[in-house]
Amino acid sequence: MSDVVEPGLELLDRQNRFVSEHLRQVFRQIYRIVRNVADAQDLTQETFIKALQRQEQLKDDQKAVQWLLRIATNTAIDFIRRNSRVSFSEIEDYPLSQAESPETLVLRSEHSDYLADGLRLLSPRERAALMLRDVEDLPAEEVARRLDCSKATVRSHIANARNKLKRYVEGRKR
Amino acid sequence: MRATKHPSEATLALHAGGDLGPIARWRTERHLRQCELCQEEVAAFQGVRQMVSDLSAMPEIPWNRLASEMQANIRLGLAAGECVREPQPVMTGLARFSGPRAILALASLTAVVAAGLILQRPTPAPADRMMLQATANGIQVRQGSEVMGMTHDAGIRNVSYTANTQGSIGESFVDPVTGDVTVRSVSW
Repeated sequence: MSDVVEPGLELLDRQNRFVSEHLRQVFRQIYRIVRNVADAQDLTQETFIKALQRQEQLKDDQKAVQWLLRIATNTAIDFIRRNSRVSFSEIEDYPLSQAESPETLVLRSEHSDYLADGLRLLSPRERAALMLRDVEDLPAEEVARRLDCSKATVRSHIANARNKLKRYVEGRKR
Repeated sequence: MRATKHPSEATLALHAGGDLGPIARWRTERHLRQCELCQEEVAAFQGVRQMVSDLSAMPEIPWNRLASEMQANIRLGLAAGECVREPQPVMTGLARFSGPRAILALASLTAVVAAGLILQRPTPAPADRMMLQATANGIQVRQGSEVMGMTHDAGIRNVSYTANTQGSIGESFVDPVTGDVTVRSVSW
């Protein structure tokens, strides 16, 4: 007989609410780092499972969100370390906008592939730092909190990332 | 014109995104006002930032469907986690004394035994040292092979002894039969 205890309704309700409230934020952050909807979906689930397994640490709402987003960042970084690949192949399943013409989608897809190649040159932490700073537009202090490192380290990651991408763009132009 | 040192690529990369501190920013701006080469570098970094910010576009996600799918999967994941989680072993009997606990317990035991052996070991008295010893019916002072002692009858009880460091010993007692009080003292 299984000794798994079914969580009570109240606990279940609280867990569902926690997932619903933070799903978009967590998913968006992970997606920005891994750039793939299916992977982002799996990693979002993984993030919530990790967080809910230690839910006794989730008493303070403000800290809980920061902690959750840090788990999300680390989960995405670990994923990139394990699978050093980037895929932009979900356009058919998840169109960027239903109003866009097929030509626009193709151009966007090519542009995405071009960017994906550039992003592959970055280390997982450089990539996460760049995404959080330049795409999410978070201040360096917040990026440091999410990556669990100092502001100086974040600046170093960002400078390296911009340098690598600049060289990549210059190399492609030649 | 005074030759100026160019800021590093990292500094220009950070400047392009407004990520420098106030002093470094002021110094870099001052340099940029007179250096076209670095202005071009900063422009290139800003182009890269622009390109990266294009990644902010999110695909259309059916959030409601995703939320319910995820809630179900997360519930399943949590339940699976519970199944595979190793139960915390209840420490009973000898299990308490495994690993570091066993090492610590063994070390403590060894220390106690060693201390006992050291304390138990009779220390041989140097030949010239004066020693006070109890005997079956009195006390004695021994120095090397010479002995000086005091004895009393076996029936005498409650004898009080005195000794001093100069080698003098004494005894006093009350004879239980006669009631006589005896006080004796001898010196080396």
